[in-house]
Amino acid sequence: MMTARTQLSRTAPLLACLGLLAIWQVAALILDTDSFPTALQAIRAIPSILGDKESLINILASLRRMAIGFGVAILLSIPLGLMMGRSRIVAAFFNPLLMVTYPVPKAALMPIIMLWLGVGDVAKMLVIFLGVSLPVIFHSFQGARAVEEKMLWSGAAMGLSAAQRMVRIVLPAALPEILAGCRTGLVLALITMITSEMIARQSGAGNILFNALDMGQYDTVFAMIIIVGAMGIGFDAAFERLRSRLVRWSEPRFDMPLGFA
Amino acid sequence: MNARAVTSDVLLGILPIALLVALWQALASFGYAPATLLPPPGLVFTRLIQQLASSGYQQEIAATLFRLFAGFLIAVVVGVAIGLAAATSPAVNAVVRPIVRVLAPLPKVALYPALLLLLGFGHASKITLVVADALFPILLSTYYGASMVEQKLIWSAMAAGTPRRQILFKVVLPAAVPSILTGCRIGLVISCIVVFLAEMITSTDGLGHVLVTAARTFQAVDMFVPLITISLLGLILNALLQAVRSYLLRGFPEV
Repeated sequence: MMTARTQLSRTAPLLACLGLLAIWQVAALILDTDSFPTALQAIRAIPSILGDKESLINILASLRRMAIGFGVAILLSIPLGLMMGRSRIVAAFFNPLLMVTYPVPKAALMPIIMLWLGVGDVAKMLVIFLGVSLPVIFHSFQGARAVEEKMLWSGAAMGLSAAQRMVRIVLPAALPEILAGCRTGLVLALITMITSEMIARQSGAGNILFNALDMGQYDTVFAMIIIVGAMGIGFDAAFERLRSRLVRWSEPRFDMPLGFA
Repeated sequence: MNARAVTSDVLLGILPIALLVALWQALASFGYAPATLLPPPGLVFTRLIQQLASSGYQQEIAATLFRLFAGFLIAVVVGVAIGLAAATSPAVNAVVRPIVRVLAPLPKVALYPALLLLLGFGHASKITLVVADALFPILLSTYYGASMVEQKLIWSAMAAGTPRRQILFKVVLPAAVPSILTGCRIGLVISCIVVFLAEMITSTDGLGHVLVTAARTFQAVDMFVPLITISLLGLILNALLQAVRSYLLRGFPEV
């Protein structure tokens, strides 16, 4: 009984994918316009994109920028969030600034940053960095704030220094919340990457989408959408596996990320 | 926390913002950054006020707001409806859950070219993109809010003779309101951001289009103004929804 259930819950997302593709196929057959290829046509166009050397290099370059932007953002945001959670002064210092910058569309900074830093990789990575930072800081902050005082007192009584308490008590205790933030951040990194490339129209995966749109290669447009969508779902699923290994002792509050742009 | 501590916290919070503006001013006035790259803050804010008073700019704001609210409201209605249905009916849950699991981490902005092809370059494609992005936080928080409703409340209502159909509206929905409103706040800020980005990618009007036009002609001042406008809009709408929330939830403990 139990195994049948877990089996079902494993295959359910896959079934959902197939169902959505089937709906797409039917809708495209009914509408029957050139600008809306069927799901099968789009899937058939995928190998030609991934086989094309230039597109592949573009996509890989996008992913490299995304990985660097995401990595740097996490390395800086987690310590900042943890410090905000444990020190009222640090929290009071940064909170209003973060609140004010929260509704700023980060990918929209692309034209301004390009004006300053040129069209190179740095501008694109900076935008991804900005997009990822806020949720990771926020979740680390929440996680560190919820750490039980008693554990910290015990740590202090056992002679741990403030820095040691941070690494050995606060960090592990806040880890589930931190990883929830990283999960949102990972989806956001991909969204920011695609959006900023769509706006800048220089190179990368987002640019392939719009170039194909301009040239009327509708199969490529939809194939690219499948590729980007698969990246989002794949990254999220991979991160979820990593997360559940790292914090097996804690049940996630939300088993899906509240992804946002 | 006493009043004095609150004031000192507020002062401390203003400090980094003031420092950033000061740095911005210093970069501009000591000539490290030419005005074509980084216009001084005074210039940007006078231009902002000037633009806010001009009818042309107000029309751009109106276009953006129309798309934003249309998308957000559709997302609220659809998200709350699906969220409630999934939380109360196991059959709906079995269908919705895997679909949401697949669609939630999908970067919706990648769908935008498809929406353009299907719905054209007008309002419809942008509104649909806003719906797609704002839907999931609202749906998920409705779902979690409604599934956390204490079973005792439902039993008491049933014991008091409430018909099954009415329990949804009299017990589950009110109990889920705090969570729904949290989802709505996230969704609203997302709507602001997404509508602006969609207008930047392709549009003929709206605040995002103003930024792109300015970027093409390298008018740095006019690039900052729409960006500040949309951020202010986000802050104001967020504060309004917060006010609605504290009005609706007066008497509830603050979460």
